[in-house]
Amino acid sequence: MSRGRDAQGLLLAAALGALAVLWLLPVVWVVVTSLKPTANIIRVPPEWIPWPATLEHYVEVLFSSSRTARIGRAFVNSLVVSLGTVILVVGTSALAAYPLARMRFPGKTFVFSVIVGSLMIPNAVVLVPQYVLVQRLGWLSTYQGLIVPEAAVTFAFGVFLLRQFFLTIPHELEDAALIDGANTWQVFARIVVPLSQPVLAALAIFAFRSAWNDFLWPLIAVNKAEMFPLPVALALLRGAYSSESYGPIMAGAALSALPLLIVFLIANRRIVEGVRLSGLKG
Amino acid sequence: MARRRGLTAYGFLAPGLLLFAAFRVYPLLDGLRLSFTNARLGRPAQAFVGLANYERLLEDTRFHVSLWNTLFYTVASTLPILAIPLLLAVALNRGTMRTVLRGAFFFPFTLSVVTVGLTWLWLLDPVVGPFNYYFGWLVGRGRSWLSEPGTAMWVIIATTVWWVAGYYLVIYLAGLQDIPRDLYESAALDGAGAIRSFWAITLPLLRPVLLFVFVTHIIGSFQIFGQVFVLTQGGPGDSTRTVVQHLYETAFQNFFAFGAASAMAWVLFAIILVFSLLQFRLLRGHTEL
Repeated sequence: MSRGRDAQGLLLAAALGALAVLWLLPVVWVVVTSLKPTANIIRVPPEWIPWPATLEHYVEVLFSSSRTARIGRAFVNSLVVSLGTVILVVGTSALAAYPLARMRFPGKTFVFSVIVGSLMIPNAVVLVPQYVLVQRLGWLSTYQGLIVPEAAVTFAFGVFLLRQFFLTIPHELEDAALIDGANTWQVFARIVVPLSQPVLAALAIFAFRSAWNDFLWPLIAVNKAEMFPLPVALALLRGAYSSESYGPIMAGAALSALPLLIVFLIANRRIVEGVRLSGLKG
Repeated sequence: MARRRGLTAYGFLAPGLLLFAAFRVYPLLDGLRLSFTNARLGRPAQAFVGLANYERLLEDTRFHVSLWNTLFYTVASTLPILAIPLLLAVALNRGTMRTVLRGAFFFPFTLSVVTVGLTWLWLLDPVVGPFNYYFGWLVGRGRSWLSEPGTAMWVIIATTVWWVAGYYLVIYLAGLQDIPRDLYESAALDGAGAIRSFWAITLPLLRPVLLFVFVTHIIGSFQIFGQVFVLTQGGPGDSTRTVVQHLYETAFQNFFAFGAASAMAWVLFAIILVFSLLQFRLLRGHTEL
């Protein structure tokens, strides 16, 4: 029996491995394309080994003064917006989740229900009024016009995620600190926050991913090319190019995956944990 | 004392609540108000028009087509999105290569919808894309997948499955790990094979997870936009035009009709709300949410 099982397991592993390779082929194709000189990109049959390899498309999208140079600027814009969103989301939702998990006060259930209920609001539904609001604030094509609405979307999820975690922190720790004369703020900052680092990191990754990848809101909230974040710059670059200019677009696409790939490699387990927390426990 | 506690609590809550009230609650209500006006971009004076925007939607055939396409997309993508990650998760649940393979399937989910769209656009390029080359080699002739009304929506579905399968895979894996191992062992002792165990143990015990994936997918599907924008812009014809694409064009590209677009948004919201409430009804029976 065990011999049959082993053979079966091996076969399954091989099949899954092959499928995984197939799954990644589109990405490989993007990277391979981005490394080819323009003339080789449109060759048929497709060449899977970029030879001769060149970084010219990367140099072009990052440094040249042509219209593709917007990618370099867009990369910076995306970083600013994503990091800004992370800071705002993690800060506000940690502060808000703390009393919701650990204090008793009038209106608590109501506040919490409204926040969690808002998870059901689809982003597409508030698109127009949010635009009207941001326009009135004079925030169109600004970093704050991208960061603040983005953070507001993730806030509810953050509160929910962090509250679940804060509930599990033992009360004895808080009580001991209070007896030692710490105030509520000190308990929060010196005990709760340090103990919650894994879940705060998971939230940060989640917020970074959704800000880095958001498309629809920046598409309408930004109308100056130099303020485009990466997805918008790439999507509009596509419209401006013919199929012969896939090189710079593919280099831009590969670059856009880089920050999340790095985060993913560093924090693989935390992402999975974050997905778990967000999906099931959250 | 109680009052001071209340003050402290609201002190902590204040920054978040301010953000939340200004950028979630207020826009939601303002959108409802706008849907009863003839507001346009740059027109400050908005007249109340009652239900006119909603009535017009009843006659707007492009809106009907968008709604139909959105529905078609949602229904047609549901089975692959439920089943493919589930099968992968079951196959990956044990074995040494699990982490590496899980990473491979999860990777596309870290890409932005625009990157995913561009990737597939390039892959499926009718002239120089590799997909058609191999497809043509197998079948004899390639096709322009994205410019044929019969195939464009399926490309959007396939792209989406490829993009999100890894995310649901991880969720299923989490669910699978909560199923006690000895259930399978005793089933094996009773002579149940892998397939029998799957139907008798895995599937019933994964029910809450399946339901979660199902509803998350449906709510997301009704809002599909990025894939359509990058791959087809709603075409060919209107064959891949979805509600959000239509809303986006109505409000920000062609007519700048904020009132009409807000009415669309609220119709969409109503549909999604029904599904969300259904989720709560269904889930309440099975997990303590």
